[in-house]
Amino acid sequence: MLKLNPVYQRELKTGVRSFRTALIILGYNGLLALFGLFAFYVTFEYEHRFGGSVDYASILRIYAIIAATEFCLVLFSVPALTAGAIAGEREKQTLEILLTTKLSPIQIIMGKLASSISMMILLAFSSLPVLALVFSVGGVTLKDFAEFMLLIIVTAIYIGSIGIFFSALFKKTTSATVATYGTLLILVIGTIGVAWVINVIIQMKLDNINIEGTIYQVADIGNWLLLWLINPAVTCFAMIERQIGTGKELNDFLGNFGSVSLYIRNNWFLISTVLQLGISILLLNFSSRLLNPLRKRCYWRKDA
Amino acid sequence: MLTIKNLTKKYSKTMALDNLNLNIKKGEIFGFVGPNGAGKTTTMRIVTGLLKADSGDVYVDGVNAGGNHKILKSKIGYMPDFFGVYDNLKAIEYMEFYASIYGIVGKEAKKLCLELMELVQLSEKADSYVDEMSRGMKQRLCLARSLVHNPELLILDEPASGLDPRARYEMKEILKELHYRGMTILISSHILPELAQMCSHIGIIEKGKMVVSGTVDEIISARGAARPILIKCTDEQEKAVEILKQNRFTRNITIRDNLITILFSGDEVQEAALLSAMVQHGAHISFFAREESNLEALFLQITTQEEQAT
Repeated sequence: MLKLNPVYQRELKTGVRSFRTALIILGYNGLLALFGLFAFYVTFEYEHRFGGSVDYASILRIYAIIAATEFCLVLFSVPALTAGAIAGEREKQTLEILLTTKLSPIQIIMGKLASSISMMILLAFSSLPVLALVFSVGGVTLKDFAEFMLLIIVTAIYIGSIGIFFSALFKKTTSATVATYGTLLILVIGTIGVAWVINVIIQMKLDNINIEGTIYQVADIGNWLLLWLINPAVTCFAMIERQIGTGKELNDFLGNFGSVSLYIRNNWFLISTVLQLGISILLLNFSSRLLNPLRKRCYWRKDA
Repeated sequence: MLTIKNLTKKYSKTMALDNLNLNIKKGEIFGFVGPNGAGKTTTMRIVTGLLKADSGDVYVDGVNAGGNHKILKSKIGYMPDFFGVYDNLKAIEYMEFYASIYGIVGKEAKKLCLELMELVQLSEKADSYVDEMSRGMKQRLCLARSLVHNPELLILDEPASGLDPRARYEMKEILKELHYRGMTILISSHILPELAQMCSHIGIIEKGKMVVSGTVDEIISARGAARPILIKCTDEQEKAVEILKQNRFTRNITIRDNLITILFSGDEVQEAALLSAMVQHGAHISFFAREESNLEALFLQITTQEEQAT
């Protein structure tokens, strides 16, 4: 019989008994349904009423809106679920007892991560009726849907590992939550912001030497673009764009900032997913080291 | 069962443990006594693997704690002084959770958990939520939890703290039962009379050092002056105090109202000579006797002496 991680089992049991879980499911699906219905309204009712006709090619827009909304909800939910994973146990004074048992730090961490991913899977499955709206009008296949579910899980692991890392690093849940959301902000907006700033600086330098009548030189930020591989929002955009478009829009978007190798452009989703999973593994490893009370002391932390 | 050799731990500038040595044999209940900040909790946390010592060795049943922690953790059951419980979990589920950590699952786990809950007199609370229990019940549940993997050494950090007398009595009875079953127990507490009744051996620690250890009787007889002499004067108390100050066996004179308490290292003959000298000097003595031996007095005496020495 499959031996489940005891921490994971306990988290599942206590999680489903909590009223908070029901509220999260309600809020999550409520928002998603709202955006889904809005997408339907825009695509059919609005265009028919004011455009005179319905462009059925734009039906895929519904899928894009719902998928993007669900992805944003995942981005916002996972830090709240994981930032208190270890710090919360520390605050409740249950962590020490756990550390005196046979459970290794990595087992504790994996149990916590697994429970937060289970929660995301529960949310994703509970949102199936909303997502199924797109199947009523076609254009999206089951394969695309499975790919989207995989993205949700990978993103949950990625953001979850960041949350757990800060939870192991900081003593307070509040500090861990702030640090996790801050890191998420840097990943999603900061990486684009950095690329934009570098692009502006390079373009300003080029504008000084661009002479009228000759070929206008455009800034190329080069390898700085690869920063976006760790940006989960860009990963989601690449996946949705490939599913409902031609991949051209991603190329155009990247092209505004510089050039990236064709291989990376064509396999952006796969490469970024693998890279984000790699970062997750590293962070989980660091987290287990932080949790080990017999590790070499870090100079910035005091012993409990 | 537990051997600690030259254990040292420093927090910033504070020496928490200063070459501490301790030896507990199998089947003993060892009482660990000391003032706040003496190093009791630090010692326990090092033994249980929650803290890393700066130097020294800890052996549990011959296993070096610095070597294999997984084996060590299966031999030790630990109950900390402060602990929390999980929300939305029943008492039996709480027990089964910890049992599952040690690979005990299913019917075997349920049977074991119910037996342990019966031992700690919580059978009727098996289906109650843990966070709704009283403090005393939580303490007993935590004790049961620490026994789930049948450890060879039980380490209890102030298990009776915050409990009412009834709850403390129940805790004491449970520990006696465990001792009867052959469990080795290391227990720290500030409630010295109860420790003296329960423990086979005592160790007094102060400023990170083991000051004295052994059975209660051994310690008290080795430190004969632990039993102070109580003297009551109806009149001319100053004359009595003058004689006391001149006597070479007298230490630590404390006066409260008409009661004089002294630590006297002389034997019975010297005691009689002291009394005679006070009476001859004109002091009116209404009471002169040695206090019955008790651990509290010994503790105060030893820790006071150590303070004076430093």
